[in-house]
Amino acid sequence: MSKKILLVEDEKPLCLLYEEELSKEGYAVTAVYDAEAALEALGSSAFDLIVTDIRMPGKDGIELITQIMGRRKDIPIIINSAYQSYKEDFMTWAADAYVVKSSSLDELKAKIKQLLDR
Amino acid sequence: MSELRKDLISGRWVIIATGRGKKPDDFRSSEKRARPEEPRGFCPFCEGSEVKTPPEIPTTLRSDETSPDSPGWKVRVVPNKFPALNRGLPSPKRSKGIFQWMEGTGVHEVVIENPDHDRELGDLPVPHIRDVLAVIRQRIRDIEREFHYRYVQVFKNKGREAGASLSHPHSQIVATPIVPKRVKEEIYGAERLFRGLKECVYCRILKEEDAAGERIVIRNDHFTAFTPFASRFPFETAVYPARHSPFFTDIREDELSSLAETMKSVLTRLKGTVDDPPYNMVLHQAPNPSHSRQAWPEIDRIFHWHLEIFPILTKVAGFEWGTGFYINPVPPETAARFLRTS
Repeated sequence: MSKKILLVEDEKPLCLLYEEELSKEGYAVTAVYDAEAALEALGSSAFDLIVTDIRMPGKDGIELITQIMGRRKDIPIIINSAYQSYKEDFMTWAADAYVVKSSSLDELKAKIKQLLDR
Repeated sequence: MSELRKDLISGRWVIIATGRGKKPDDFRSSEKRARPEEPRGFCPFCEGSEVKTPPEIPTTLRSDETSPDSPGWKVRVVPNKFPALNRGLPSPKRSKGIFQWMEGTGVHEVVIENPDHDRELGDLPVPHIRDVLAVIRQRIRDIEREFHYRYVQVFKNKGREAGASLSHPHSQIVATPIVPKRVKEEIYGAERLFRGLKECVYCRILKEEDAAGERIVIRNDHFTAFTPFASRFPFETAVYPARHSPFFTDIREDELSSLAETMKSVLTRLKGTVDDPPYNMVLHQAPNPSHSRQAWPEIDRIFHWHLEIFPILTKVAGFEWGTGFYINPVPPETAARFLRTS
């Protein structure tokens, strides 16, 4: 059975690209564009892993992962941000991996596989 | 009436603007108004969240019967989970045209000072503060065994305005393969003054501050806390050890306890006087002894480790960035008086 990934990315073209690429890897991807929609999705379905952007309108990714940790700590989370600078925020430690966005998705795919195989 | 005062060691000038604000109330921290609420419900530094940090470094202080990376610790040290600098031997410097760079190698560790999210360093009992200091001393000693780490910087950011991303009390240790410019400037300043004074400038400052008395906050057998003559910031406080040594790692057991007492007293006074301000606390020490003694053969005589505490009560703005001059609206004599009597 396919592993279920919740993808949180506010840039729609990028979100579609990730969704397509990760689906090709055999994952069942649910894509949402903001933190509120992510929390809603988490309330109604079970996921094996979350990939989230940080800089998003409304609640940012750090607030999102903090809220998720308040509910359940066992779900692996990957931060997928264009910015290195958020690494200085220790709240990002709530995530299991931090990937800086690039034109290649190899690192993201490798981290997903590593965390799901754990 | 303002005064221009010169910091002896750095040569930096400060404008002590005595006409503005005279009561501690004028400088109480604005952080409580400005700070957006920190997200609650989860903290990676709290007891019970050990799985969310990298494996702890054995210097971690815990009860004998508890196992690593589980609850039961007193002071926990972990590497940065997402470090900007990675461990490893430094690569050679490279250049392209006039620009130089090297790979970012170094150490970045976090010292989680206690398991309780809301119990600040100054609120801890003296023996616990002593334990935090002992852990830091041990980590510096261990890191400095790797000679390529030439400088170890220990600092604490408390509060969002001081740069802390998380309110759970913690300090940070960063080791770099180069000696930072500011550290070199301080050593050069101390070296220049040593030649003129024929003694360590920090020892001389201690003597003169002791004699003047007006900027002393507290003192005991081993440490003196005072507001420096050319303080850049209101309520800026320095803590100097009485025994001369360039290296914090030389501190003895009795001195550790005495430093813990001094720090508790200073932090408690600051909290009471200016409403629990955000602050930066910085350890100034000579670079790794193996490097220091080669680069500065007189280092043992000229440098004197110390601590500096900078409450964040004013903003550094255009004038300061442009000129390197700081404007301090609270004369250090006034700040010391308030801190002494709080």
